[in-house]
Amino acid sequence: MKFVLISTLLSLSFLIVSCRKDKVSFEPTPYELAVPSHFPKMNIPIDNPLTVEGVELGRKLFYEELLSGDNTQSCASCHSPAAAFSDPNQFSTGIQGIQGTRNSMALINLGWNNFFFWDGRSKTLEEQVLIPVRDQIEMHNTWTNAVTSLESRVEYRNMFFKAFGEEGIDSTKAAKALAQFLRTMISGSSKYDVMYKYENGYTLNAKEQQVFQTVSMDEWQGYSLFKSLDGADCFHCHNGALMQVLKFSNNGLDASFSDLGRGAITGNPADNGKFKVPTLRNIALSAPYMHDGRFSSLEEVVDHYSFGIQNSSTIDPLIEFAFQGGVQLNPTQRAQLIAFLNTMTDWDFVTNPAFQDPD
Amino acid sequence: MRVLNPYFLSAIALTAILFSCKKDTPEEPEEPADPSLEVHINPYFGMEDLELNQVFTTDEGYKIKFLTLKFFLEDIRSGAQFAKDAALFDFGTNGTLAFSFLGKTTDYPSLNMNLGVQSDLNHADPSLFASSSPLNIMNANDMHWDWNPGYIFVKVEAKADTLVDGIDDFDLNVILHAGLDPNLQILNFSELDWTSQGSTSYRTNLKLDMLEFLRGNGNPIDLKTEYTTHSAPGQEALTLKVMSNLKHAITKL
Repeated sequence: MKFVLISTLLSLSFLIVSCRKDKVSFEPTPYELAVPSHFPKMNIPIDNPLTVEGVELGRKLFYEELLSGDNTQSCASCHSPAAAFSDPNQFSTGIQGIQGTRNSMALINLGWNNFFFWDGRSKTLEEQVLIPVRDQIEMHNTWTNAVTSLESRVEYRNMFFKAFGEEGIDSTKAAKALAQFLRTMISGSSKYDVMYKYENGYTLNAKEQQVFQTVSMDEWQGYSLFKSLDGADCFHCHNGALMQVLKFSNNGLDASFSDLGRGAITGNPADNGKFKVPTLRNIALSAPYMHDGRFSSLEEVVDHYSFGIQNSSTIDPLIEFAFQGGVQLNPTQRAQLIAFLNTMTDWDFVTNPAFQDPD
Repeated sequence: MRVLNPYFLSAIALTAILFSCKKDTPEEPEEPADPSLEVHINPYFGMEDLELNQVFTTDEGYKIKFLTLKFFLEDIRSGAQFAKDAALFDFGTNGTLAFSFLGKTTDYPSLNMNLGVQSDLNHADPSLFASSSPLNIMNANDMHWDWNPGYIFVKVEAKADTLVDGIDDFDLNVILHAGLDPNLQILNFSELDWTSQGSTSYRTNLKLDMLEFLRGNGNPIDLKTEYTTHSAPGQEALTLKVMSNLKHAITKL
C-alpha cells in the first residue's frame, strides 16, 4: 500500500514538473523614456519595447567596431556625437577607403520618423540599422560574421541574454537593441524649444525662463522670417516641435538629377530628385548640408534658398519663389535667419553621457 | 472511520492533474462581429479617372496635373449614429479609401460629416490626440499649421500651365491650403449603396470631381490668378472658395 502511494506521489510530481518550460530566463527592466512635454507620444513597436538592458546593449553596439568587416568602424564612425551624430565630411569613407555618395544623416529624434535614409528605403529603425553593416562601401561585413564576432565575447553573450531574456545572439536582436538605443536619442532642450513652448502656451520652468531671457531680437526676428510666407518661407517643410515634416521633397538643388533619390526607390519619375526632409534640430552642428553635403555652411544654405533655386519638373510646389530663384532675403534677414537656426543647437543632447561611447 | 481506497484517490488526483494541463475549452460561440464599412472617395476630372501627375485640361484650356489631394473629415455620423471621429483622406498615400469603421449597413443609410475640423479640436494640442487618431500630429504631419493655428482642412497642390500656346510648361505652382474655423463645411450623403466585398466588408463609393472643384458651381477658380492660398489674411476669398467648391465636388458616385 505504501509503495503505491509513494509511486503515485512521484508520478504526480513528475507530471507537474513536466507541465513547466525547462528554460533559464531573465526579465529585462522596462526603460522609462523621458519624452519632452511638448513632443508627441513616440510609437514604439510592440515587439521591441525599450528596456534598460536593451538600450545599454544598443549603445555598446553603436560604438562596436567588431560589426565591420575589418573591425575598424562602428556606427559612430559616420555618426559622431560632436557632429550631432552625423559626419562632418561631405561623404563618409568605408572600411576599404571607398566613399559613399550621400552625406550621413544626423541621428536625432528618430523615434518619431517612419522612414529612413535620404531616399526612405527603410520603413523601420530595426530594418535600417541592418543595412550599413552589410553595405559594401560602408562596414562591408555580413551579419553572420558580425554575430560570430559578438558571440566570441562573454560580455556580449551576457548582455544579449539580459536584453532579451534568453540565450543567443542574432542580427534581429542586434537590430532591436540598436533601434532601442536610437529611440532614446531625443533632442528637446534647445533654446528653440523654449521659444516654441512660449509661443504655444506651454509653462516654462525656472531654467527655461532663464533661457527665455537670453533670446535675442535677431533670434526672434529670424523665427518670424522662418514662419513668414513672404520671408524665408521655411515652415512648410520644417515646423512643430520636431522641426520636420515627414515627406520627400525636391528643394530646388538641381535642374537635372545625377542622384534620383526617392525616384530610384519607387521607380516613379515624379519622385526623381526628391529626398527626405531632415529635421533642423542641431543644424548648426551637422554640416555639411543637403543629401550630397554640397553646402559647407549655413550661410551657403540660406543663400541657396534666397537666390539659388533651380527649377525642374519635380520641384516642390511649396518652393513658391522658385520663379525668381528663391526668397531673396537681404543680408540682415539672412543673418537673422541664421541666428534663429543656431537656437536649435541642443548641447544637452550632444554631450549627454547616455549617448557616448560606454568604453 | 472508513478509509478511502488509495488506488481510487490516486486515480482522481491523476485525472485532475492531467486535465489541468489542458487548455480551457472555448465557451459558447460569440456573436459575429460587425462588418467593416469602407467609404471610398474616387477622384475624377469630369468623366475621366484622376491619377496624380496626370495632365488634364480645364474649361479655359489650361493644363493641370495634381500632386496632392488631402483633406480632413471629422465627426462622421449617420444622423445620431456615430461612425468615426475623424479621417484624413490622402489620395497619394492611401488611394481611394477615405475611412472605414465597424457597423451594420442598415445603421448607416446616410453619412454626414465635417469637411475640416471643428473648432474645439482644431485648436487642441495636436500632440495629445491618441496615436491612432488622424488628428495626432504624427499622422496629421504636414496638415497642421503651427504658425496659423489649427489644421489645414484641405490641401490641393498642383502644377499648371496657364499659357494656352500648345507647349507644356508646368511652371505655375498651385497651392491651395484651406483651413480656419469659419470655413468649416458640412457634407451630407443620403441613400448610400453599400456593396458587399465578402462576408466581412462593405463599401460605398463617393466621387470627387476636380473639374467641378475648379468650376465651383458658378463660382470658378481661375488658376491664372487664384493659385495660392495659405488661409492667411488677404486670402480669405480664395480660401472660402476652395472649401465650398470642394464640398460641391464630393458627391455620391
